[in-house]
Amino acid sequence: MTALVALLFFPAGLSLILGGMFYEWADRKLVARFQSRVGPRWFQPLADAIKLLSKEEIEPLGVNRLLFWGLPVLALAGALTAGLYVPVFGLPPVHSFAGDLIVVLYLLSLLTLCIGLAGWNAESRFSIVGATRTLTQLFAYEAPFMLALLGPAMAAGSWQIGEIVAYTEQHWMIVLQPIGFFIAIIGLMGKLELPPFDAPEAETEIVAGALTEYSGRGLALFHLGKSVELVVGLSLVTAFYLGGLGNPILFLLKTLGLLFIMSIMQAVLTRLRIDQTVGVWWRMGALLALLQILALVYVAAR
Amino acid sequence: MTVPNMFQQAIQGITTWARVNSPWVIHFNSGSCNGCDIEILATLTPHYDIERFGIKLKGSPRHADVLICTGPVTRQARERLLRIYEQMPEPKFVVAVGSCGISGGTFAGCYNIVGHIDEVLPVDAYIPGCPPRPEAIIDGIVKLLTHIQSGAPHPRSLLHATRTEPRQEIKA
Amino acid sequence: MTTETLLQEAGRILAPFTQSSAAPESNRLDVVIAADSLTGATAALQAEGWGYLSAITGLDAGPEAGFMEAMYHFCNRAAVASLRVRLPRDGQPEIATIADQIPVASFYERELSEMLGVHVIGTPDPSHLFLPDDWPDGVFPNRKDFNLEQAAPVQREAPPVPEQGRVGNKFIVPIGPQHPALKEPGHFEFAVDGEIITGARMRLGYVHRGIEKATEQRSWVQNLYLLERICGICSHTHTSAYAQGVEKLAQVEVPPRALAIRALVAELERIHSHLLWLGVAAHEAGFDTLFMASWRDRETVMNLLEGLTGNRVNYSISVLGGVKQDVGPEQVRSIHKSVGFLEERIRYYLNVVSTDTLFLQRTRGIGAMTAEAAIRYGALGPTARASSIPRDVRIDAPYGAYAHFPVSLTLDSRGDLEAKFAVRLKELLVSCFTIRAIVDNLPPGELSVRFPRRVPAGETVSRVEAPRGEAFYFIKSAGGETPERIKIRTPSLCNWTSALNEAIGHQLADIPMLIAGMDPCFSCNDRLITIRRGDTAHTYTWQQMRAWREVRP
Repeated sequence: MTALVALLFFPAGLSLILGGMFYEWADRKLVARFQSRVGPRWFQPLADAIKLLSKEEIEPLGVNRLLFWGLPVLALAGALTAGLYVPVFGLPPVHSFAGDLIVVLYLLSLLTLCIGLAGWNAESRFSIVGATRTLTQLFAYEAPFMLALLGPAMAAGSWQIGEIVAYTEQHWMIVLQPIGFFIAIIGLMGKLELPPFDAPEAETEIVAGALTEYSGRGLALFHLGKSVELVVGLSLVTAFYLGGLGNPILFLLKTLGLLFIMSIMQAVLTRLRIDQTVGVWWRMGALLALLQILALVYVAAR
Repeated sequence: MTVPNMFQQAIQGITTWARVNSPWVIHFNSGSCNGCDIEILATLTPHYDIERFGIKLKGSPRHADVLICTGPVTRQARERLLRIYEQMPEPKFVVAVGSCGISGGTFAGCYNIVGHIDEVLPVDAYIPGCPPRPEAIIDGIVKLLTHIQSGAPHPRSLLHATRTEPRQEIKA
Repeated sequence: MTTETLLQEAGRILAPFTQSSAAPESNRLDVVIAADSLTGATAALQAEGWGYLSAITGLDAGPEAGFMEAMYHFCNRAAVASLRVRLPRDGQPEIATIADQIPVASFYERELSEMLGVHVIGTPDPSHLFLPDDWPDGVFPNRKDFNLEQAAPVQREAPPVPEQGRVGNKFIVPIGPQHPALKEPGHFEFAVDGEIITGARMRLGYVHRGIEKATEQRSWVQNLYLLERICGICSHTHTSAYAQGVEKLAQVEVPPRALAIRALVAELERIHSHLLWLGVAAHEAGFDTLFMASWRDRETVMNLLEGLTGNRVNYSISVLGGVKQDVGPEQVRSIHKSVGFLEERIRYYLNVVSTDTLFLQRTRGIGAMTAEAAIRYGALGPTARASSIPRDVRIDAPYGAYAHFPVSLTLDSRGDLEAKFAVRLKELLVSCFTIRAIVDNLPPGELSVRFPRRVPAGETVSRVEAPRGEAFYFIKSAGGETPERIKIRTPSLCNWTSALNEAIGHQLADIPMLIAGMDPCFSCNDRLITIRRGDTAHTYTWQQMRAWREVRP
């Protein structure tokens, strides 16, 4: 019974979705303020989601029906499941086992993979170009992001999120591994396809990328999946780099601080072309992350 | 009142609330001079900021709820206008912006003009002006939303009774 | 070189081909040539580098007269040399193409053949039909005996719609007519290999309304308001070009104060148009904050225009014979204040677009056009000036008040997107300077003079520098209450060839910016050009329509 409540409402399930909406609103509002606009009202993501859920869903000709309907569900489920292993809202993770960090990283990639597949499945030209870009970008940021999270894990000497967090509570990793922190934030932005890494859904080039043909429920589920991933990702980076869990309210403020930094970057940077994105990640991100890992290994070996 | 009925009403209320607070629009110029289009674009910008009302300009007709049309309908654009409308998922609304969209305006009678927008699509709201100011466009959309909220019949259904010809053509 | 010497030189170059020549106005030379010496004449002009082809006007003298004329207008600074070719009206009027010498002519030739039924031999795109696909054969809207009943839609067999957007290994990405990058409808098809563009095609005509024909059915005054609505962004350009031409024909002397006010509004319009462009181009690059900021500041100039004229968009300040509204001391004060603010902002934007590293990654070296290419493709306005081609009607042929308020030329030699940003923004600084000069030295006097209802018979050419380049008007009056013929050639049309040729070899992601780089204006173009679409007149079932994916040949 407790497990069911945990799964459906708190801390996973409904609360994650609502939390995701809150963060999405905060993000949109902040970007709007940076652009000297008023920005959306606090309930905007909720209204968007309900509206999309209540809309008709059109199934384009020639799609694989199972994939078309299944992928959005899988995407949201993946993101929600990841929430179970991550200390969201500053609470200790619901489930924990040795090596759950790796599982979480894969679950977080599931959403991107689903979007890519959905774009390929829709067979519209914008969707296919969008899907190609989504997957290209996945290969670009995944390795550096993983290496960035590996840093704290290596320092803590564990692959279990709970243990790593216990370690980071004593050590502020942002001070010890500033490069990793920087790459983790940028990696998160790449993962969420936020500007300037929004080439996969660049409105002015390929309409809405992989999701161009989705309407109604499918679109809503993908959007919710992204919001949930925003919460999970922010929580993970905060827990790893900004002094562990601590006080839930303090934790919330830290995640919002992180979101603030991300919004500034969204507002001031120009969209990168997909080749530039890949170049930035492999030439800068992966290299720097690798250097940091080598430094860690060197320190550990001494 | 029975419980399922109340439940249904509550759901209805929530969806209407969501619909009114989150209309995503798509914009199509079917032969306009640009004047209306730049004023529509201006509603997105800091002076008017239409995102305050939850209105977002979307690129894909699949994501949109409201189709904002400008200009008289040219023979070339007619089919495309219809297709965009048909690609939008229900429930959907059409807003005609500007004198040309409403009556053909200064271009009425030109050889390449099919006519005004409601000769091609069922229009739910008309925003007059040449071009209407951004405030007028926002006001028009808000009026449409209030209409939806009041639970009155879909404005389009009133028109269907009188004009069936173009609809039949595409449903054939 | 003065205009007279330029015209003398044109007369010398064209002498071997000339049948007869005339000088209808001090800056014009009309040379009548035979249809078969056309290519020779244009080649001679090209070889000597005399000017550029500005427009081709098709004139129908009507069924009684029984002939038509094609006029090839070449402009060199203030001088306009027109080659007149007389063509038979009945049977199959034919003329040779000059598109092999002057690529941009292919657009004008298509226009000529579609609107007047002149068969252009050897034009690069012979399969064309300019008007919508359901347009009947053998009906030409710009002929005098055209009537609307002839143009009833014709059902045509639609070609089959292929299931996939693939052609071999290539993928066709359509942009438009409804596309977030285009706020107006145009249709582009780009063949992509991965992300690299390998081919480009363009179709226009979604906003073609048939304005040129409509002008012949409206009075001189009514046309002012019709032509204002060619384009909502540069509406004042069109009214001033038209008014200027008609006033010349009617020999009406416009008071200097009115001319100064027209120039003032034109420069304010340039600021509004370029700031709008800056925002749109930034939006194409995915830099929404710059879009928001530039449009926020654009409101300042919109407020000024509204304060001056009463309208935000279609100002309708010009009337035939002058202007409607005066500029009072209070407005002068607010202009000074706002222009000061705008100048500061423009300098700031200039700094942003030339220093922001990420933004430069999207603009530097992208779509670089050499000066030779710009001349070959017939680029105009800021697009040409970014490739260091000094073409600006305000300087070449100062019209209206520009003779008293000279503007300086802004040039850049790099030719890429960065140069286009720089040229447009620097031009705005010049505009700010000109606006100050005008309001500080407004000539006293009347606002307008009486204008006759009938305009004496004659022909004139009126050229105005629109924000996007030279706008060309050819106006012919037969002495009546309505014009005999108005031919309009807007700058965007000339710039298309260059933009499409630049696109090949670039990335898909650069396309919206490249298109935006020339600041296209579809409404302007489409007043006359319509290009065939292969698959109209196809009946879809309702279900097919709903499930329609963007799959087009």
